Amino acid sequence: MTNRRHIYTAASLFLLVAGMVGLAFASVPLYRLFCQVTGFGGTPRVATGGLSTGTDSSDRQITVRFDSNVNSALPWRFKPVLRQTSVRIGEEKLALFTAENIGEKAATGTASFNVTPYKAARYFAKVQCFCFEEQRLEAGQKVDMPVSFFVDPEILDDPNARDVSTITLSYTFFPAEPEGDANSW
Amino acid sequence: MSAAHHPTGWRRWVYSTNHKDIGTMYIVLSMIGAIIGGGMSWYIRLELAQPGIQFIDDTQLYNVMVTAHGFLMVFFVVMPAMIGGFGNWFVPLMIGAPDMSFPRMNNISFWLLAAALVLLVLAGVTGGGPGTGWTVYPPLSSATYHPGPAVDLAILSLHVAGASSILGAINLITTIVNMRAPGMTMHRAPLFVWAILVTAFLLLLAIPVLAGALTMLLTDRNFGTTFFVPEGGGDPILWQHLFWFFGHPEVYIIIIPAFGIISQIIATFSKKPVFGYLGMAYAMCAIGFVGFVVWAHHMYTVGLDVNTRAYFVLATMVIAVPTGIKIFSWLATMWGGSIELKTPMLFATGFIALFVAGGVTGVVLSNAGMDVALHDTYYVVAHFHYVLSIAAVFAMYAGFYYWIGKMSGRQYSETLGKIHFWASFVGVNLLFFPQHFLGAAGMPRRIPDYPDAYAGWNMVSSVGALITAIGTFFFLYIVWHTLTRGRAAEANPWGVGATTLEWTVPSPAPFHTHEDLPKIEAAQGVE
Repeated sequence: MTNRRHIYTAASLFLLVAGMVGLAFASVPLYRLFCQVTGFGGTPRVATGGLSTGTDSSDRQITVRFDSNVNSALPWRFKPVLRQTSVRIGEEKLALFTAENIGEKAATGTASFNVTPYKAARYFAKVQCFCFEEQRLEAGQKVDMPVSFFVDPEILDDPNARDVSTITLSYTFFPAEPEGDANSW
Repeated sequence: MSAAHHPTGWRRWVYSTNHKDIGTMYIVLSMIGAIIGGGMSWYIRLELAQPGIQFIDDTQLYNVMVTAHGFLMVFFVVMPAMIGGFGNWFVPLMIGAPDMSFPRMNNISFWLLAAALVLLVLAGVTGGGPGTGWTVYPPLSSATYHPGPAVDLAILSLHVAGASSILGAINLITTIVNMRAPGMTMHRAPLFVWAILVTAFLLLLAIPVLAGALTMLLTDRNFGTTFFVPEGGGDPILWQHLFWFFGHPEVYIIIIPAFGIISQIIATFSKKPVFGYLGMAYAMCAIGFVGFVVWAHHMYTVGLDVNTRAYFVLATMVIAVPTGIKIFSWLATMWGGSIELKTPMLFATGFIALFVAGGVTGVVLSNAGMDVALHDTYYVVAHFHYVLSIAAVFAMYAGFYYWIGKMSGRQYSETLGKIHFWASFVGVNLLFFPQHFLGAAGMPRRIPDYPDAYAGWNMVSSVGALITAIGTFFFLYIVWHTLTRGRAAEANPWGVGATTLEWTVPSPAPFHTHEDLPKIEAAQGVE
């Protein structure tokens, strides 16, 4: 009788433990979702399908600067064609980056991205981006990589973000498969 | 179970299902861990006594010692002594239960921890050892910077220690929830029982998150996953979030049992019930709860935005409120009491002084702006050693002197105990107080060398470490002296102030106690 009570208590506690383990792993997708929805930590939005670009564009101009980095494990040169550009709020704009494989082998890279200031990230929407998929460059190959984006006019209604006059879009290219062998020992 | 059932020889210990024997083994394990972990810290202080490199040429070895010192002290000294040791011994005695609810699981908990200690020692002597710090941040802990098996062994050790803690916590909660003697309502349970209950819940909620994070790190290192690797879409900051979601509650796991021990001792030696019993109990619950929503105050420098930092500053400062309730209630318990400054009481009052000193610097550090300057300096080292190491260790000493008569049947020598207290109190303050100055002057932690400007206070700190070491070895002598020369302890050596149930059984506590359940008519010294 009492024994059954002990088992019942212990079983509920084990469930609690299992739940916490689950939460630890669920934190990865949950946090990603949270960032995508809120723009937390500088995660830019992805505009899916005909979002209201240009419909209520404003006359205000915003400067968008481009920052490019390459992880040392990837022998690529990666630069924006223009260092910065000026865009009307609400207007869709295309920017180009140039990537060149200066290594001796073909390599696949993937770009992580970020927007600063963080508070502007939720209003910075990408329509198309080379960073949405992995990019493969043959040895010596040089390509232009496009990103099209717009700044959501709602930024003007946000008292915290409406003072933003410059947004920096940053990319870092990493090798798509980690180079070093994790089992090297 | 008959009273005659009393195994002897090695079977008594290896196969033990007796909460007192298992508690004793936990305390012995903790002492072994303390000697190894303490030895490492003294070696570190020896190196740091003067600028330049004197003894530790191999800086990886220095890092390994800093790491192992942290792991040992947290997982193999404080937790086993307070939760496994005193928890096992006195929770059943205090609530009037004959033993723990799952005696065999209790045995497994202990032996898993012993295995984990072996794994940790193996990690330390394999392939250069884990020089990651106890926080194991990637990318330093990744396969790139720690390619050998040492970090994998350390991860495995923590997994096993975590499993041990989870099983122990489930056992303690089930015991406290289901096995209280008739009349022992939760609101009559001694505060030490409350403390262990809150701690066990913290363990259940925090350890699985550490286990999950460690598993991610293990697969990142060995199987090519990229949880913490940016090129694969991961983020090393995720480790810090997961680690500190465990790590912050962990510091309360260490200190809340100490709160429980101190409450019993202050009440006993003031010969008064604890002031504000319910407030004390629910303050611990509040500390445990808020402890889960403040973790990012360890990460103010990772680039959190200003609103997030503002929240974590506020939430962190809120913890000072229930903590203040506890401090003031202890003082109010002593106020107007008939205070007897026996050794346990000396250590308990010493605990309050040290904990307040560490708590005050904690409030300083909780400010995100201030913390940017003090992050990873000796100021932080001084802060967490005041609260976690020396306050917690003072609580362990206090518990030892308070209960050794009950556990061994022999009473310690009051004179020797008082010498030990004063040596420790002077030693630890000389050791850690100057580290505030070093940290405020910008001395970074975890580096075996420093500019000459920091030489003076480092020497003072190392002299403090020497005094503390002498005090610690003196304590080992006291243990030997007590067990061989101590006079026989009576059932209740402390008089009218000691009202909890463990003082109603003879000393040493018989192998089986409370086989006829005690009936509690009124509260046992807590109301």
